[in-house]
Amino acid sequence: MQGVSRLWVTVIVLFSFLCVILLTPTFMGDKLPSWWGKVFSSKGISLGLDLEGGIFLLLGVETEEGVEQEMLIVEESLVSKFRKDRILVKSSSVSDGTLTIGFFPGADMDKALEIARDEFEEVTDIDSDGFRIRLSVKPSYVDELERNSIERVRHIIENRIKDFGLVEPSIQKSGEDRILVQVPGASKKDRQRIVNLIKKTAVLEFKIVEAVGASQENLLAAVEAETEKQVAEKGRAIHAGDTGNENERFFLTERLASVTGEYISDARITFDNYGNPAVGFTFRGEGASRFGKLTENNIGERLAIVLDGVIKSAPTIQDKITYQGTITGTFTPDEAKDLALILRSGSLPVPVRVEQERTVGPSLGQDSIEKGRFSMIVGGILVLVFMVFFYRVQGVVANAALVLNILFIMGFLSAFGVTLTLPGIAGLVLTLGMAVDGNIIIFERIKEELVAGKTAVHSIEAGYARSLWTILDANVTTLLTALILFWLGTGPVKGFAATLSIGIVSTVFSNLVVARIFTNMLYRDKKITEVSI
Amino acid sequence: MRLIGRLNYDFVEKMGGAMRISIALAVISIASLVYHQGPNWGVEFTGGTEIHIKLAKSLETNVLKEGLERSGFPSESVQRFGLPGDNEHLIQFAPDLATFDQIEDFQKSLEDLFAESEDFQGASIQRIDYIGPRVGKELITKALLSILIACVGILGYLVLRFEFGFAVGAVIALIHDTLITVGAISLADKEFTLAIVAALLTVIGYSVNDTIVIFDRIRENMGNFPEKGFRELVNDGISQTLSRTLLTAITVFIVLVPLFFLGGSVIHDFAFTLMVGVVIGTYSSIFVASAFVVYWRKRKATG
Repeated sequence: MQGVSRLWVTVIVLFSFLCVILLTPTFMGDKLPSWWGKVFSSKGISLGLDLEGGIFLLLGVETEEGVEQEMLIVEESLVSKFRKDRILVKSSSVSDGTLTIGFFPGADMDKALEIARDEFEEVTDIDSDGFRIRLSVKPSYVDELERNSIERVRHIIENRIKDFGLVEPSIQKSGEDRILVQVPGASKKDRQRIVNLIKKTAVLEFKIVEAVGASQENLLAAVEAETEKQVAEKGRAIHAGDTGNENERFFLTERLASVTGEYISDARITFDNYGNPAVGFTFRGEGASRFGKLTENNIGERLAIVLDGVIKSAPTIQDKITYQGTITGTFTPDEAKDLALILRSGSLPVPVRVEQERTVGPSLGQDSIEKGRFSMIVGGILVLVFMVFFYRVQGVVANAALVLNILFIMGFLSAFGVTLTLPGIAGLVLTLGMAVDGNIIIFERIKEELVAGKTAVHSIEAGYARSLWTILDANVTTLLTALILFWLGTGPVKGFAATLSIGIVSTVFSNLVVARIFTNMLYRDKKITEVSI
Repeated sequence: MRLIGRLNYDFVEKMGGAMRISIALAVISIASLVYHQGPNWGVEFTGGTEIHIKLAKSLETNVLKEGLERSGFPSESVQRFGLPGDNEHLIQFAPDLATFDQIEDFQKSLEDLFAESEDFQGASIQRIDYIGPRVGKELITKALLSILIACVGILGYLVLRFEFGFAVGAVIALIHDTLITVGAISLADKEFTLAIVAALLTVIGYSVNDTIVIFDRIRENMGNFPEKGFRELVNDGISQTLSRTLLTAITVFIVLVPLFFLGGSVIHDFAFTLMVGVVIGTYSSIFVASAFVVYWRKRKATG
């Protein structure tokens, strides 16, 4: 019989030692001395949201909106250039990423085309049929725009969530156009606030009020228009009001705001004269001078503060204001705090929608961990007892290998930062049952060889040698399914697949190497004639 | 100790009878799926909202459903979850009954209901799941795709390592196992969730694993005893590996039983699927996969 390979023994001992260190935080938790964390960076096995409790949100980013907005900017810039050069523009419109500009007969089409090409040839495909010019965004530029808007949205949401003050939130890009937000430890009470923080586009605009009405029709009549589109063509806009005044349900204002929230450098919760929560903000640089000009020119007029298209308040301008302002309205303290936070982080360039949510209460998570742990202990003990009962000394060998196997698996989970989920725990328990399969295959083979009349040593040799390919073949296919699950699975299922994959690799190792070494150690230097199996 | 000593059992002879059993089980599975109008897809696949609540005492699902209706939230379904003593229920809403923005209102009125009514004292919301329609469709595609790719991948690996007939036999066995396990889930009227798909893929892995151990032995015997007839070689292979086949099934079952009874409501159905799958997978390795190989060899021999 082969001796005991020193190399493998060293590897196994080192490995076990490493795993113990990696796992200490998982089992000791808070009882660890503080120097531990400084010496060893491992934080132990990280728990998934389904075990720890918290909020998981999958957000879809409406990137098409970003392309549309970009084309609106192109429209504005081109049309004003044409006007400046006295090229007679009849109409212009944007749809599906294509800008169409129509001209009156006799307009200098060649010049218009030249201007358009000069400015936008790099990012759009331009063609003309003699009456109209059509600019459509190039696919490569669409990609760039979409990538940009996702990155910006991710960054802004990250700022908002981090500011909210819960521990270790994670905000990642997921797939092509999605963002995955995970906030462990968030309670059901936090849920709605977090959702609001994320979903609020938070476009803040300051506009001068031209008329106020109790209904939309009143205001339409005031500008002699029938639809909102006609209002827009006249350079005006109608906004709904949320100021708490029944007679002021709708406001007529200018269409484009000269001052927006992008110039805000800071925002915080304050209180108005009546002690109600409000949001105070500060402008920086160009914002301050623009705001100063706007207020100076309109003293005595009403200034509408528009948040995401809705007027929150419309105070009368008493004096020139430059740096500071306050948004009053009907806020609760939490709402005011969150609005200040959102204004600090900036507005989302494109809207987001919630595609998937999972909120798990902390009690369910705790319950799952305890039940998972309990069933693992019960299952584990049953398997250990069964193996000793059935295989005697070799059963002990298999059990020793199994214990090390579990240690390795958990060590790997910790080292690779695999998140342990509830199905992951189930995967771990399942691995306990499957792990001894390799031992069983080998032991049954050894028994057969013994029955066939081979010596003990030869039987062990043959048992291991002949089982090698069986074990490899059988596990490669199982690993294949686990990897497919890992590749296509999401959330908890991915955690299950990761646990299962690591379990399979570690199991093959412990079946073929660890158990073998234990067997060899047991029979080293002895002329054995009998195997207890 | 030996579980099974030397055996001279003619497995191949029994395969005809086994085929009838398999066909009967498959027919029952399909009938149940037809009767229930397909699997009872979980909210992850259909889209919608699912709220998992835990009550302090046992209540009829009807009481819960009516309570919800009184607070203005007609739910699509309220079903028990986990073991009877857990008092856990799943409330489900179709996408049009509760949009994402309505969840907050629902959560509030549910909490009001818990506070007001004596029946619901001590009840709590454990989990809220919302799945938008796009995600639901993607998850269905991915789930079906993962099972399909697993089958193709396994077929590919087996073709490389074994003769073609063996590979086909293993894949037929795993399709057999998947169908009957899905049928059992449908018969037990359990929800077909992502976790169940994960369990099914594990069953596939287990079934193939089991089949390969037997095939490996048949192949080894083919090399060692070329003089023996194929039928005898198959019988020998199955007999020689039978202890292992049963022992492994036992150890896996040993860990699944505590998972089923003690693992908690979420793990319960997952463990159920695996328990059914392990039994069917063990049976199919012997009576479906090996049977096909015998049939395939016979066809090849007779041309």
